[in-house]
Amino acid sequence: MSKINFYLLEYAYSYILRHKNKNIFIVTIFTLLVALLTTLFFVTSSLRYELKERIANQSDIIIQNYKAGMPAAIDISVLNKLLEIKGVTAGKLEIDGKYYFKPKESIFYLLGVDAFEMQNDPMVIKLLEKYELSDSEILVSRNVQDIMHQAYYKEYFNFIKPDGSLQKVSIKASFDVGERVELKNLIIMNKDTAREIFGYGVDEGSGIALSVANKNELESISSKIRLLLPNAKVTSKDELLLEYEKLFNYDSGVFLSLFVIALFTFFIIIYDKANGLSSEEKREIGILKAIGWCIEDVLHAKFYEATLLSFFSFILGLGIAFVYVFIFKAPLLGRIFIHENMLEIHNFQLNIHIELSYILLIFLLSVPVYIAATLIPSWRVATLDADEVMR
Amino acid sequence: MIKLKNVSKIYGKNIKALQDISLEFSEGELIVLKGVSGSGKSTVLSLIAGLSKPTAGEVIVDGKKISKMLDHFTASYRRENIGIVFQKYNLIPDLSVEENVLLPLFPLNLSRELMRQKAKRVLEIFSIAHKVSLMVRNLSGGEQQRVAIARANINDPKIILADEPTANLDEKLSREFIEILRELKSKKRTIIVATHDPLFFELDFVDRVINLEHGKLL
Ligand SMILES: Nc1ncnc2c1ncn2[C@@H]1O[C@H](COP(=O)(O)OP(=O)(O)OP(=O)(O)O)[C@@H](O)[C@H]1O
Ligand SMILES: [Mg+2]
Repeated sequence: MSKINFYLLEYAYSYILRHKNKNIFIVTIFTLLVALLTTLFFVTSSLRYELKERIANQSDIIIQNYKAGMPAAIDISVLNKLLEIKGVTAGKLEIDGKYYFKPKESIFYLLGVDAFEMQNDPMVIKLLEKYELSDSEILVSRNVQDIMHQAYYKEYFNFIKPDGSLQKVSIKASFDVGERVELKNLIIMNKDTAREIFGYGVDEGSGIALSVANKNELESISSKIRLLLPNAKVTSKDELLLEYEKLFNYDSGVFLSLFVIALFTFFIIIYDKANGLSSEEKREIGILKAIGWCIEDVLHAKFYEATLLSFFSFILGLGIAFVYVFIFKAPLLGRIFIHENMLEIHNFQLNIHIELSYILLIFLLSVPVYIAATLIPSWRVATLDADEVMR
Repeated sequence: MIKLKNVSKIYGKNIKALQDISLEFSEGELIVLKGVSGSGKSTVLSLIAGLSKPTAGEVIVDGKKISKMLDHFTASYRRENIGIVFQKYNLIPDLSVEENVLLPLFPLNLSRELMRQKAKRVLEIFSIAHKVSLMVRNLSGGEQQRVAIARANINDPKIILADEPTANLDEKLSREFIEILRELKSKKRTIIVATHDPLFFELDFVDRVINLEHGKLL
């Protein structure tokens, strides 16, 4: 089979067309099955990828203070205490939080930065390299800029502080968040400005971010901190991952039943094929043998036939899943994989990320199985005496 | 050139299709195998074509023991030496005339040009060239038979086996077929026709008529 025999290929192709109805059915089921499986894998792997990306930009451990169940400011003295814990290599007071902009009913995410401190997020790092912010200047995302425009703020903006007074800042520049939709309402400003807006004292912040040298120690260090600060919420990187993963939702009946039906039908096809050929199909093999084809030639043609059909279905299924997930963003079924709030609150988005190993797995589970189910019964018939055709 | 030595063919447990038959055909001979339905005519043709193997005895063609060959060899033996005209034509109705005629050569992967030439030649010889790209299902019975004969001759085989070739033809078409046989015979082909059509029994160019009854020679 080193060189493609185009005559046999054409014969195989015409054979498929000659049994149109049956083969259309097979292609439909095959395609549906591949499309369903691939959709599942596309959605999960691109979400997983997105999770990993987000986690990568997170600090190792984040500590937030709570008072009476409400988020509260945290003092720098706490940071100094935490820095004494063995294994903690660095830490900083963070000043960030949500800001509700009533006129447009939007929630902005304010991030306080310090030009002399290390930043985690590569996007923020780039922006800070480009712009030097004074205490009366802010950087806003495109989306925030649009919202502010709608409220007639073009050059400057007024934040309302907790005591009701205004904090006037000028909008220095706007930036594009690209695929980082979770940052679409981001506003960047100096830490002191953010402190003013949120009403924190000079030594206070909204939380503490710690770096840990050995990632295996994340868990033990987190529990030490919990003992030390019983009122604080301590979130380590791996806990964050777990929390996000809980948002996945695989157990939907709709998907499962569609999947089971397709799988079931696929196995019926395989069973039906493996169980033997129709008398017409047998006769055709007999004719081919009688006019001088050997067993191998018959199988060669059958191999082409099965490969054409299954490959076509496989590629079609893959294409459908791709368009469905990445171009149409998985309408209907998307909700099956992801909790409603994942896309909205967490701003998750299906960006193209494909894990080839999954595609390979689906390929191996479908195409070779189909080819074998076609070849085996044909081989059985082809090895019989062909004298039936004489009658 | 064709020798059947004490050949028996038993189907299943005890359907004795042929019982201890010995026959010999020489090159260029035209033989008519006659006998009622079930007498074993088709079985003889299958054995010569290597489509089945005898239960006992040997089939020897050109010194080669056909009855002992492996599939791969019987296939090329058939392709190169045997042309079969089946009673039911055994064409593939949804393929074109040309494709049907060339079907035996598909596994050889020859050039398109050579294939076209070969098809053209046999289709012209058997006067069916004007239907070359029609689908076989749209042809009349007589035309289908011409396609079947053309296919049997695509490789200029030395041996032509015809099983009840006129069973589905009217008298006019049957006579035309006989003329085709006369042509082939003049080309020194060895021809074996299994039939119970009386038209064949009195032909001047038939060398021998062999009578079969219950799988035995009469
Ligand atoms: N594959 C088979 N299985 C069982 N019996 C068979 C098989 N092939 C042939 N036979 C039997 O062998 C005997 C001879 O059959 P064969 O086809 O050679 O007869 P024939 O002379 O060609 O008859 P007809 O004129 O009807 O074509 C018959 O009794 C037939 O039923
Ligand atoms: Mg017969």
